[in-house]
Amino acid sequence: MSRASRGPRLWPALSLPGTVWLIAFFAVPFYAVAAIAFGLTDPLFRSPIPVWNPLQWQFDHLLGALQRSLSGDLRPVFVRTFVYVGAALALCIAIGYPVAYYVARLAGRRRGLLLALILAPWWINYLTRMLAWVNLLQPDGYVNRVLQSTPFVSQPVDWLGGNPYTVVVALAYGYLPFFIVPLFATLDRIDGRLLEASRDLGIGTVGTFWHVTLPLSRQGLLTASAITLLPMFGDYYTNTLVSGSPSTTMVGNQIEFYLLQTQQKGIGAALVLILSALLMVLMAYYLVQTQRASREAA
Amino acid sequence: MVMHPREPRPYDRRRFLRHSLYLSMGAVGAPSLLAACGSDDTSSAGTELPLARRDDPVTLPVHDDVPSIEDGLQPESGTLKVFNYADYIAPGVIKAFSQDYGVQVEVTTFNSMDEAVAKLRTGQSDFDVFFPTPSVLAQIVFGKLLQPLNHSYLPNLGNAWEMLQDPFYDQGSLYTVPYTVYTTGIGYRADEVDTIPANGYDLFWDEQYAGQTHILDDGREAIGMSMLREGMEDMNTEDPDTVRAAGERLQELVDAVQVKIDISGYTEVPEGRATVHQCWSGDMISAQYYLPSGDSPDVLGYWYPTDSPGVVGNDTMAVIAGAEHPVLAHHFLNYVLDEQNALRNFEWVGYQPALQKFSPRYLSSEGYVPANLETAVVTADQYNEGHQLLQLSPDGSALWDEVWATVKSG
Repeated sequence: MSRASRGPRLWPALSLPGTVWLIAFFAVPFYAVAAIAFGLTDPLFRSPIPVWNPLQWQFDHLLGALQRSLSGDLRPVFVRTFVYVGAALALCIAIGYPVAYYVARLAGRRRGLLLALILAPWWINYLTRMLAWVNLLQPDGYVNRVLQSTPFVSQPVDWLGGNPYTVVVALAYGYLPFFIVPLFATLDRIDGRLLEASRDLGIGTVGTFWHVTLPLSRQGLLTASAITLLPMFGDYYTNTLVSGSPSTTMVGNQIEFYLLQTQQKGIGAALVLILSALLMVLMAYYLVQTQRASREAA
Repeated sequence: MVMHPREPRPYDRRRFLRHSLYLSMGAVGAPSLLAACGSDDTSSAGTELPLARRDDPVTLPVHDDVPSIEDGLQPESGTLKVFNYADYIAPGVIKAFSQDYGVQVEVTTFNSMDEAVAKLRTGQSDFDVFFPTPSVLAQIVFGKLLQPLNHSYLPNLGNAWEMLQDPFYDQGSLYTVPYTVYTTGIGYRADEVDTIPANGYDLFWDEQYAGQTHILDDGREAIGMSMLREGMEDMNTEDPDTVRAAGERLQELVDAVQVKIDISGYTEVPEGRATVHQCWSGDMISAQYYLPSGDSPDVLGYWYPTDSPGVVGNDTMAVIAGAEHPVLAHHFLNYVLDEQNALRNFEWVGYQPALQKFSPRYLSSEGYVPANLETAVVTADQYNEGHQLLQLSPDGSALWDEVWATVKSG
């Protein structure tokens, strides 16, 4: 068989493992969630009965959850989730971009070491890291001890008593490595000659960053944001650990509540679908931007 | 759904690895969803469950195709399979039973009663002994998941409180024997709370403990507490106005005292992270073991109403239908009901066996409970007069869940 005739079959075949993976671990579970959201409830055991045939789906759970999300008790939860995630992303950008930039462009021989240090938190279980923060932020924890040693703070700050700033900082801390790594990869690939050309043309350091580096790293910034945002929106454990107060409840907490603590699992599944739909809008924006960038590069 | 005192604690360091597994799977509630997708070989259509109440006891049906074992059989050899909450039976008791009977005992754990029932319903499990709560009893009996008990193997049932030898949720103890009992009250720091108000539940609304006030992450318990504060007595009401009003009063706590919601009182009170915490009595008895080194148990306190009934609860033991070791399972139930074995179990679990011998004074004098926590020991009278959180109708259950979701949404 010639290379020319083998090519058309071989290359698509390489996508087979990925396709199977996607079907098995995304499409099927997602359909199962939909089958439960639009399904029935067992009259005896009160557990959900998934309905696999879309023609028999019932939309009571979804409509109820939508109504509550738009104008009921879940509306502030969704608004709060977007605010917290947005603030945490802003914090990731503020901290992560300079770090990624430094490691990619300025760290020289130390970049390997710095990259390893950035990735070091991933060696430790996420919850272990969060529990460490819980200890640090307790009323008699080190953070309060340091603050109280200054003349500005006399009483311990209640960081863990439903403080939204704590939740935002904890989210940013938890997902910051996810943000830095893809951004680092993009910044690392920027052709240094473009930056030299910019400077040769008389544009200063700030101008070169603004007109060359930032536009060229936009795709990495989008990727890093997408990778960070998606898990943040569904996160429920960070909030539970560092707050536990109803005043900071996020959508993930409500989903966890309905799926694990009630027999109204259909509502939980409906909330999963609503959140997924919102995230798909963000993902669609990301994909459009990616395609546009690819066309421009071509 | 009523949460159980042994359901996993979000802050529990012993269990966080298990939770992290769920988290890493990236699927919130995946276990429940997957369980829901499992096959179901139990018939459940067209059955209306009886809702057991203290003033409306229930005799559960005996199915012809799920008989009890005959009298006088020898216990089987092999491995007895026990299905229970994590950390809810003492390893010492398991080991002693293994040695006494020359068998192996394998304990498999579950996280919630929903999860346990879902697993049993698959019909693919081979457990012998199960620890159901009264709130799911009707479901699993109608679903033919339990077998009737043969009392000739259970002489130690006579050690149990009399009312639990013939409980309202299972008249005649056809399917269950009592395991533990508990009350729901207030665990507090005795070194910080000077006085308990006349209505003890007012402690939760006391702004001097703002930021240090916690309620249970259990809608039935929390909303029920709000009702008790107002002097209401029907903890199983399905009246929407009553439940919603109680929920609204709970919402006041968010702004008034920045209330936190969790089920970790057994660590948070001894560690000083909570001053006032709605607690199960067994948790406060366990709390003495979580005190920082050098701290006296005197810093702990437990309040349960003395002038009016509070919330009480109990757990049971049962034998699974189709168990491979039904005779051995009966012997196991009887073994746990033995006073010495029950005491050994209590010492490790912290939850009190419902046996006549174990009065507050006895457990205190024997050193199992600090004198200042005698209030956390349940008396038969307290159990008899208390309010128990029981199964609701589907609509009632949905109502309570909705109100609790609103409270939790802040």
